Amino acid sequence: MNANVETYKKTINFNKNMISSYGTIFAGIAIILIFSLLSPGSFATLDNLINITRQISFLVIIAIGATLVMSVKEFDLSIGAMASLGGVVAAKSAASGLPLFLCILIPVIAGFLIGLINGAIITRFKVLSFVTTLAMGTIIGGFTFWFTGGATIFENIPASFKFIGQTNLGGIPLLSVIMFLIVISFWYVMSQTVLGRRFYAIGGNERASQVSGINIGKYKNIAFALSGMLAALTGALLASRLGSAHPTGGDGFFLNAYAAVFLGMTVVRSGVSNVIGTLFGAAIIGIMANGLTILEIPTFMQNVITGIIIIAALIIQKLGRDS
Amino acid sequence: MALLQIEQLTKQFGVNKALDSINLEIGQGEVHSLVGENGAGKSTLIKMLSGVYPPTSGTLFWKGNEVSFESPKDSKDIGINVIHQDRQLVSYFTGLENLYLNNPYPKKKMGLGIDWKAMYKAAQRLQDKWGMDIPLDIPVSKMTPSERTLLEILRAMMSDSNLLILDEPTASLTDKESELLFSFIERLKDQGVAIVYISHRLEEVIRLSDRVTVLTGGKLMATIERSQLTKENLIRYMTGGKEIKSTRLPKMQEHQEVLLQAKELRSVDGSIKNVNFELRKGEILGIYGLAGSGRTECMEAIYGLRKIADGEIYFKNELRSKPTPGSSIKQGIVLIPENRHEDALIMDNTIMENMTLPILSKLTKNGVMQKKSELSLVQKEMARFKVKAVNVNQPVSELSGGNQQKVVFAKALMSNPLVYICDEPTQAVDIMTRADIHLFLKEQASEGKGVIFVSSDLHEILEISDRIIIFSEGETVAELVNDNLNPNDILDICYLNQKEAVQG
Ligand SMILES: Nc1ncnc2c1ncn2[C@@H]1O[C@H](COP(=O)(O)OP(=O)(O)OP(=O)(O)O)[C@@H](O)[C@H]1O
Ligand SMILES: [Mg+2]
Repeated sequence: MNANVETYKKTINFNKNMISSYGTIFAGIAIILIFSLLSPGSFATLDNLINITRQISFLVIIAIGATLVMSVKEFDLSIGAMASLGGVVAAKSAASGLPLFLCILIPVIAGFLIGLINGAIITRFKVLSFVTTLAMGTIIGGFTFWFTGGATIFENIPASFKFIGQTNLGGIPLLSVIMFLIVISFWYVMSQTVLGRRFYAIGGNERASQVSGINIGKYKNIAFALSGMLAALTGALLASRLGSAHPTGGDGFFLNAYAAVFLGMTVVRSGVSNVIGTLFGAAIIGIMANGLTILEIPTFMQNVITGIIIIAALIIQKLGRDS
Repeated sequence: MALLQIEQLTKQFGVNKALDSINLEIGQGEVHSLVGENGAGKSTLIKMLSGVYPPTSGTLFWKGNEVSFESPKDSKDIGINVIHQDRQLVSYFTGLENLYLNNPYPKKKMGLGIDWKAMYKAAQRLQDKWGMDIPLDIPVSKMTPSERTLLEILRAMMSDSNLLILDEPTASLTDKESELLFSFIERLKDQGVAIVYISHRLEEVIRLSDRVTVLTGGKLMATIERSQLTKENLIRYMTGGKEIKSTRLPKMQEHQEVLLQAKELRSVDGSIKNVNFELRKGEILGIYGLAGSGRTECMEAIYGLRKIADGEIYFKNELRSKPTPGSSIKQGIVLIPENRHEDALIMDNTIMENMTLPILSKLTKNGVMQKKSELSLVQKEMARFKVKAVNVNQPVSELSGGNQQKVVFAKALMSNPLVYICDEPTQAVDIMTRADIHLFLKEQASEGKGVIFVSSDLHEILEISDRIIIFSEGETVAELVNDNLNPNDILDICYLNQKEAVQG
């Protein structure tokens, strides 16, 4: 009798643990099943799957930057504005006739440098990253507006600029390939290298990391610089896909990027931002958008549903962990 | 009838039984101590008595009636107050706010807002009553470890206790503050309050207790009556008959070369004002001072955690102009910080991740972690100090307090330093480990390294040091060779200097 109670309790615990670590994954699978049932002919096809990987590539790349900054327990709220700037700089470069690799490299370097400035201000003066990067986002936004005069850049952009955004390699979009390469590289960095260890150490206990000889300022600077770089890259890739750039074209990524990171914190390394988790989080958001669009649900309703799904996933995970 | 009766209490974490079928009675007005090696299950028992964990099985009876606690509030409501081994304070709240954390706030008339004045007055009255003088208006993060402990004790006095449980309360207290605590215990006992007391300092256990229960590996070994209480007896039960070795190693010759030197050191924040001392090769330099004397602050300044205003630090005769923790570790100076939760450990990370943090760059090839060599290194150090854990990948938050401290100590050895700055290195560890740590440091010294040993336990300082430096009010005030010194010699110097400082 007693033994029975014990095994019974163990099963319950097991299930609760399952929910806490895999809740988000279950939610993802459930979403896929539902869409597959509702629109089997158009959602659950290989073409659409490939399509989804291309659609989420932008969100994944920018969210990985946010993942890095969150791993040292800071926020970078300038990533949306940074992506807009990256797109505009890339498009302007293309319009002025620069070769493709420079059109990508210039915004990436700009993003890296602005990220360094973010980091320098935050670590040097010990101010809150939340507010600092919010203000930096405003500054970048203002600069982008001045730079473009508030207009979309689309004139004189050569077809060659669209190469990255619109090429398929044996049926797989180049954008998807780039996304997977970035995911794999940063997964490797965060889980297998000293840099990742130090990031997570700082995020876990900054003071103890300092006592252990880690130069906190240096590693936070690196995180902010990489975040700025990836955000600007996202903007440049988007411009290449569209063949144009709007001065606020990247702003919308900011909230979804953080939603992806927070969703991702519920999988793999529980409670800590991580690259694979972020990929999952971005995939859920992307799949929702894709599936709901196929079902012809209007955008405002899509937003409502996506928001509800995110909150539900967080609650399920939390309930699982607390018990 | 017993106040509290514990029957067949068991607690299981995963596959491990932290406590196995414990039977125990606590009587009214009794001081009942729990002793046992690190990880024996003492804190786990306390956490079940205070509703932090539910028991896996077993029953509790309170004044003869069966009780079960759903939360800490349930146990507090019937008059069980606890001071946990990990201090439970909100670090950015002031002392006053922490006092009222789980007590009702006095309200202003008509319930409009909190009556801060009444709060402050009530708190001061309580301080006066118990002879305490904790600064209540500063945040806990600015308090010393001993002030934090006293604050928790004061908080426990805010509501009436029938049973007061103290889990290693003296771990960071100086003798004077411990005496204060012992007098509270006597007073409470006279009022009929039962006390459960946990400590690795056997002298105080013997002095205070009516009965002592020895736990080993989660099992109750024996409950010893007052008449049978001797140190030998306790150690015999705790170790299962083994002796604790106290080895005297041959001292190195006098007048060895100076390893580390501080000259007229003053910190920007004024916590140290004028510090002068030398650490020579092959010696253990004891550092003692009353609470607030600046000993911890000085160690932090030398290591590079506290800004220096003027004065010099020399390491092997070379000036260290702007020390940082990174440069210290590189040159061979390591700090074992006093506060293990805030300064030493990343609680959610694994034992391995914590231990190798200062030497990550030595465990890499082109920036990539070499996990095999990391694993074998960590396993070796864990075995040396007998860290009790499931495996290297267990988060340190799941270890017992003493085992966490062993991880802190082992972590410091990783970089194979020349100078050890140890701030309360044996806090929370059992007497066997304490002897191991002492032996280890003595061996290191005899190999020509230098050890600075800071402790609030004067007996420990006298036991291990070759020379002793005394701190008072941020200054080094005396240097003594540890040759037939007795505790009062040192305390006299401390009090004399404190008085002079007060009189200006
Ligand atoms: N939350 C937890 N999860 C898993 N294991 C735990 C947890 N808490 C305690 N343990 C294990 O239970 C055992 C008993 O721990 P406990 O903290 O009660 O020891 P202790 O007697 O208080 O030791 P110390 O003298 O070091 O404080 C240890 O092996 C510890 O690792
Ligand atoms: Mg304990």
